[in-house]
Amino acid sequence: MLFQTTPAHEELRAKLRAFAEEEIKPIAFELDQNNEFPEEAVQKLGKLGFMGLPYPKEYGGAGLDIMSYAIAVEELARVDGGAGVILSAHVSLGSFPIFAFGTEEQKKKYLTPLARGEKIAAFGLTEPNAGSDAGGTETTAIDKGDYWLLNGGKIFITNAPRADTYVVFAVTTPDIGTRGISAFIVEKGWPGFEFGDHYDKMGIRSSTTAELIFNDVKVPKENLLGKEGQGFKIAMATLDGGRIGIAAQALGIAQGAFEHALEYSKERIQFGKPIAAQQGVSFKLADMATKLRCARMLVYSAAEMKEHHQPYGMEAAMAKLYASDISLEVCNDALQIFGGSGFLKGMEVERAYRDAKITTIYEGTNEVQRVVIAASLVGKLGKEAGGSSRSVMKKPAPVTGVRKKNIFREGDAKERVEALVAALKKDGHDFSVGIPIDTPIAQAERVVSAGKGIGSKENMALIEKVAAAAGAAIGSSRPVAETLKYVPLNRYVGMSGQKFRGNLYIACGISGAVQHLKGIKDASTIVAINKNGNAPIFKNCDYGIVGDLNEILPLLAEALDCGEKAPAPPMIKMKRPQPPKPTPIGKSYVCNGCGYEYNPEVGDEDSEIAPGTLFEKLPEDWVCPKCAEEKDQFIEA
Amino acid sequence: MYCVRNVTEDLYWVGANDRRLTLFENIHPIPKGVSYNAYLLMDESTVLFDTVDWSACRQLLENLYHVLGDRPLDYLVVNHMEPDHGASVEEILLRWPDVKVISTEKSFMLMRQFGFEIDGHELIEVVEGDTYSFGKHEVMFVGAPMVHWPEAMVTFDTTNGVLFSADAFGSFIALDGKLFADEVNFDRDWIDEARRYLTNIVGKYGPHVQLLLGKAAPILDKIKYICPLHGPVWRKDLGYFIDKYDKWSRYEPEEQGVMIVYASMYGNTESAANALATRLCEKGMTNVVMYDVSNTHVSYLISESFRLSHIVLASVTYNLGIYPVMHDYLMDMKALNLQNRTFAIVENGSWACESGDLMQKFVDEELKNMTVLNERLSMSSALKGDKETELDALADAIIESMKVEK
Repeated sequence: MLFQTTPAHEELRAKLRAFAEEEIKPIAFELDQNNEFPEEAVQKLGKLGFMGLPYPKEYGGAGLDIMSYAIAVEELARVDGGAGVILSAHVSLGSFPIFAFGTEEQKKKYLTPLARGEKIAAFGLTEPNAGSDAGGTETTAIDKGDYWLLNGGKIFITNAPRADTYVVFAVTTPDIGTRGISAFIVEKGWPGFEFGDHYDKMGIRSSTTAELIFNDVKVPKENLLGKEGQGFKIAMATLDGGRIGIAAQALGIAQGAFEHALEYSKERIQFGKPIAAQQGVSFKLADMATKLRCARMLVYSAAEMKEHHQPYGMEAAMAKLYASDISLEVCNDALQIFGGSGFLKGMEVERAYRDAKITTIYEGTNEVQRVVIAASLVGKLGKEAGGSSRSVMKKPAPVTGVRKKNIFREGDAKERVEALVAALKKDGHDFSVGIPIDTPIAQAERVVSAGKGIGSKENMALIEKVAAAAGAAIGSSRPVAETLKYVPLNRYVGMSGQKFRGNLYIACGISGAVQHLKGIKDASTIVAINKNGNAPIFKNCDYGIVGDLNEILPLLAEALDCGEKAPAPPMIKMKRPQPPKPTPIGKSYVCNGCGYEYNPEVGDEDSEIAPGTLFEKLPEDWVCPKCAEEKDQFIEA
Repeated sequence: MYCVRNVTEDLYWVGANDRRLTLFENIHPIPKGVSYNAYLLMDESTVLFDTVDWSACRQLLENLYHVLGDRPLDYLVVNHMEPDHGASVEEILLRWPDVKVISTEKSFMLMRQFGFEIDGHELIEVVEGDTYSFGKHEVMFVGAPMVHWPEAMVTFDTTNGVLFSADAFGSFIALDGKLFADEVNFDRDWIDEARRYLTNIVGKYGPHVQLLLGKAAPILDKIKYICPLHGPVWRKDLGYFIDKYDKWSRYEPEEQGVMIVYASMYGNTESAANALATRLCEKGMTNVVMYDVSNTHVSYLISESFRLSHIVLASVTYNLGIYPVMHDYLMDMKALNLQNRTFAIVENGSWACESGDLMQKFVDEELKNMTVLNERLSMSSALKGDKETELDALADAIIESMKVEK
């Protein structure tokens, strides 16, 4: 950037400014008071081509640059902070991930109407337990073969419920941290997708914000955005860009407040002259203008870097951090210049003062922006040692590997049991055949196992009944054999006992101690039945029912029973899914001087380069740790 | 006796063959020997492209004196300073003190490190893109770093289209008088040894080979001869060999097929491997090869691993670990950067079977872009009839995974 916008940029700014002054300014106070979305104005913005400024024309966009988009947000926010964020959330949060990571079909189907402004987009990442730390995401999407089953909820979602198209993040592989998160395109109106209350906010009240609720929402397979497990990467890449939008919004709000204060200070006469002529006020104005110019440079520079595909994450964070911090300062000073008049409802500076506050909070609090900036500067020093974030993978996967974790919750006990048996049959378990109840565990195709949750010894009859109905042998947890002595010692399953490698393991009243889980990690299918829904076994199972054994087991025996069992043919071990491979965080590079490979996941300890440092981010004076060749002597591996 | 052959107008092969060396680089067996190629250009100036191993120096000198006649040697171009080509440089300098040496900065550094007395002679340091005229012939120098040493370059004669390709496009096997690849049945008699040479010597440096191929791509139609430092000269069907290089350096298999590598102490794991190979063939997958890891030099295993798409690792458990020679094979695979293969695992253990888990962990964590099939065949001491369905399932899974790949 040669520190100046182009004439085309300024032409666009003039157009938007005229639009904002004519269409939004007159109704801004009303929108604020009524918590109302500027439906008409947004539709007009779409018709004028402003809702898809930075996207290619072939997808309905205007084919302009990121800077044009930033200017648009700035100009809308200048008259109304809420209008600014409607555009920002639509363009850079809702539409961008589809543009950047979508398939051709997804772009045609979803991006085009968004860029044309015919539909509105939103972005669903934040949850009650996953704000700054996306690793805490609890919304789940389970692979059901033909579709993904989405359950959970999102909070504080800008543009909801008005938006039509939502990019939603959900856990597809639990317990492996952020690598287990995937992104989906979800449409408003799908069964099970509902909205909570429209929040009553302090500022940006013309922008609508609501809660998303997903209850067994069936998301078609083709609506997975990017690859499975790429969700976190997509979210982070999107937020990097989103920060430019928020920075522009903060800048616009402050610019508007500043202009009002400047004008007012020239008109308001005290002590015989305009207060602007009083040094105390004039110095304030000078500081405000300086801060604004500084913020504008940061915002435009980050926009330009993004446009040129340079790494811009740190610069966007700086722009967002600074623009929003000074937005609060500038609005505060503007209101101060207005004095008591500024404290009244209906005054633009009063609204700007409230609107500005959110910009230091959303799309990454300014504290998180500092984390982002600092991480770019110093790498991830001490991250392993300190490592309290859930984003950091603590264990590769549950003890039993990647499992379906499909817990049946719908309907009464009988319906849940029937759903379980139907799922097992669908997976290929044939209950018309069975093995003797005393088959050694290691050779058994199926085992029904009892844990301490079984209670008194008479209840073992329930286990026997289920085992007979399932055509399975009987097993147990260690305490049931060793302490309670309900079954012989050679029937307990676990690391120290018998290992089960068959196809179906039904754990009844077993909580899932690690040593037990290690004994069943090769099982093709694990079913958990336990009254404690938080028992570890549920994180290690394919199917589960939370409920009382005395109620569930008789129902299960009944549902599985299909008369006399034929002897089972030799077991065919059922396939288990391949755990998804993590996507590399960046490209590896090899040295022309010796063949040493720089892997960003490993870093370079000897040169104090923290793991996670991309090759592009290595200091210019970094040299090959093996042969001292310079950075430009590396080629992509 | 001198032994030379005319390559094309003005250019002569003046190298030597070595059939007495047992281990190339003192590690890889070469039962059919190897050639050290050197080329002499008789232009207005006389130019020698590379020398030979010290053991073959006298043959080189005889050849040189024969072709030079009473002319002096004016230039020595050193494309690659590894001693199997560079060891005779000092002798050339002693015999022709006025010879001008053309090479890269790193190559001169290596000459000094090896203790050659080069200072005091005229040294011409070249970089990427430099050109030089020897009269009728003008050549261009192109860097080939880490193919497979850092100092390497290739020289392209823009007058007649001869590419002096250094170790690239080389092969094991001594030349039986036949200098050109079109004089032998390369695809029948040479390709396996060419692959074993490339994959074991240069295998790790796929990205660097790709870089070189990328540099060659725009002038491909101008390359008429490829003169490597080992093996035959290419003047026909260059695309055949370039395509192989492209596959190897991208770590893509040449063929859909299964390589079963087994580690067996008393024949029981071998028996299971036999049964698996038979099942695969019965099911229609007949491109199957089997290797006893204890009796096959690892260079052959690596070469076959680069050729085929699927690898079955069948190993006993030994000292609670992977059988040591099997472990060596895995370590070599890692060192040579092999990628993009599908693995199946067969494990054996008589009291605590560990090899399967350990091999899977190695493949998953130490190698790149590999897939390990879930279907694992486990046996305690020996495979028996009760495991027949598992054996079948494993064979089916291997064949199934080939369909997915297509």
